[in-house]
Amino acid sequence: MHRPLPRRRAHDGPRVTHDTDVLVIGAGPAGAVAAWEAKRAAPELDVVLLERDARVGTPVRCAEGVGNAGLREFADPDGAPWAARKITRVVFVAPDDTEVKVAERDVGWILDRSQFDAFLAERAVALGAELLVSTEAAGMMCEPDGRWRVRLRGAGGEAICRARVVIGTDGVEAMVGRWAGLETRVPARDMESCAQYVVEGIDFDPDAIYLQFGAGIAPGGYAWLFPKSPGVANVGLGLVALKADARNARQYLDAWIARRYPRGAKRTCTVGGVIAHTTIRQTYTDGVLVAGDAAHMINPLSGGGIVNAMKAGRLAGRVATAAIRAGDTSASRLSAYHAEWMAQLGDDHLKYYRLKRALEDLDDQFFNSLARAANTIPAGKRTLGRIFAHALVRHPQLIPVAARFFI
Amino acid sequence: MLDASDHHGYRSRMRPAPAFPEIAVVDLQVCDRCGLCLPLCPPEAIHLELTDLVVDQSTCTGCRKCIAPCPVGALTMVPA
Repeated sequence: MHRPLPRRRAHDGPRVTHDTDVLVIGAGPAGAVAAWEAKRAAPELDVVLLERDARVGTPVRCAEGVGNAGLREFADPDGAPWAARKITRVVFVAPDDTEVKVAERDVGWILDRSQFDAFLAERAVALGAELLVSTEAAGMMCEPDGRWRVRLRGAGGEAICRARVVIGTDGVEAMVGRWAGLETRVPARDMESCAQYVVEGIDFDPDAIYLQFGAGIAPGGYAWLFPKSPGVANVGLGLVALKADARNARQYLDAWIARRYPRGAKRTCTVGGVIAHTTIRQTYTDGVLVAGDAAHMINPLSGGGIVNAMKAGRLAGRVATAAIRAGDTSASRLSAYHAEWMAQLGDDHLKYYRLKRALEDLDDQFFNSLARAANTIPAGKRTLGRIFAHALVRHPQLIPVAARFFI
Repeated sequence: MLDASDHHGYRSRMRPAPAFPEIAVVDLQVCDRCGLCLPLCPPEAIHLELTDLVVDQSTCTGCRKCIAPCPVGALTMVPA
C-alpha cells in the first residue's frame, strides 16, 4: 500500500504509470478525506493520493488544536491514539499577563497530527485509494480530451499520471492551483509567520489552552500553549511580519518562552505559514478542485484549518466523483463545489476576516482593560458571548466592530 | 512543457521588470522548507523542489516581500 514510485529504467522517458479518475495531491487532512470520500461515494472509480514526504503526517507543521464538534463529523476521538489531549477550558491572557478563564464546555482536542494524518490516509487506503509516498507533483498540463497530465517525481525517477479530476490539497504552497491558473498568492499582511516548540517541564493547567495577545508578543497574531500531556505542550506563536520589528517569528517566540516559561526545555522547533485571509476567489477550474490551506480555507481569526480542510476535502471528493460519473468535469460543473463551500463556511470566513481587520486597530491597553472587565463576570457565566456583550457596554468603540461582524 | 514556469497566463502580466539591484537568496542550512514564502512571491520565483527551496534568480524582482515573513530568517537580499 505504501510504496514509492516504481524505479525508472535507464532509457525510459517519463512514462504513463497511471490513468486514474481522481488524483489527490497532498495527503494532509484535506487530501486524505477527499480520497476517502471519493472512494466512499464512488467505489468503482480509481483514486490516487500523493504524498511528498516519506511518511504521511510528518513533519508536523501545526499547533494541533481542533474543535470538538467539527472533529466528530469525521472521527471519534474518545480513546483514539491520535487524540493527545481533551481540552475543556480556554484561558485568554492579556498583554499585561491578566488571565481570563472562559467557561465553555467541550472545547476541543489536541491531536497528534503525525498519527491523525496517517489514520485518515489509512482509512482512504482501506476503501481502495492508492497512496504513493515520497512522490511529488512537479507540474501539470491539460490534455485536449480534458484530462490533466501530471508529472510525478520521486526518488525512483519520474512518471506521468493522467487524471480526470485533480484535487489540489498541497497546503500553503498551493502549486496545483497555480499550475491550473488559479490565483493563490497571498498579500503579506494576511500571512501569519509561525514558529513552535514542543516544550517540556513547564507548569500549566493540562486541560486548558492558553492564548496571549500583545503587540510586543505576537504583533497581528497571538502566542499559544496547547497541552500535549501534563508538563509538555506545543508552545508557539504567529505574527504578521509587516507589524513586527526586525526579529523573525522564532526570535519572538524565544523571547516569549524565556519570559513565560524560563525553566522549560525546548524540543523540536517547527515553523510555517498560516494564511489568515479568505477563500480564494475561485477554487475550481476545468478538471481541478483545490481544498484546505491550498485554497486559503482557514479561519482568519483563529488560524484554525484542520476541520475546514476536512469539510472541503469531503465536498471535493463528492463533487469530483459525481462529475466524473456524469461525464462532465468542466469548470461549470465543478463550480458546485465552490458554491457549497461558501455556503458551509466560506461566507463565515468573510465575516471573521472583517472582524480580524477591525480588531487589528485595537491596542494592548484595550485588551488589558477588557480582560479586567471580563474577570468581573462570575466564572461560571464567563462565556465568550458574555465577554463580548460586556465589552460592547464598557467599550463603545467596539460597536462598529460588532456591526461589521454581524452585517 | 510541464514546468510551472511554462504556465504563463495571468502571471506573465503580473511580472514587472526587475526594478531593484538585489535579489533574494535562501540559506538552506537555516531554511525549514515550510513553503510560507511561495505564495508571497509576486512573480512566483520561489519553488520547493523535492527537499530544497529554490529561488529563480532570473525571475526574482527583488521586491523583498519574502524576506521579513520567513519565520527563521533564511532569506536575505544580495546584489543581483
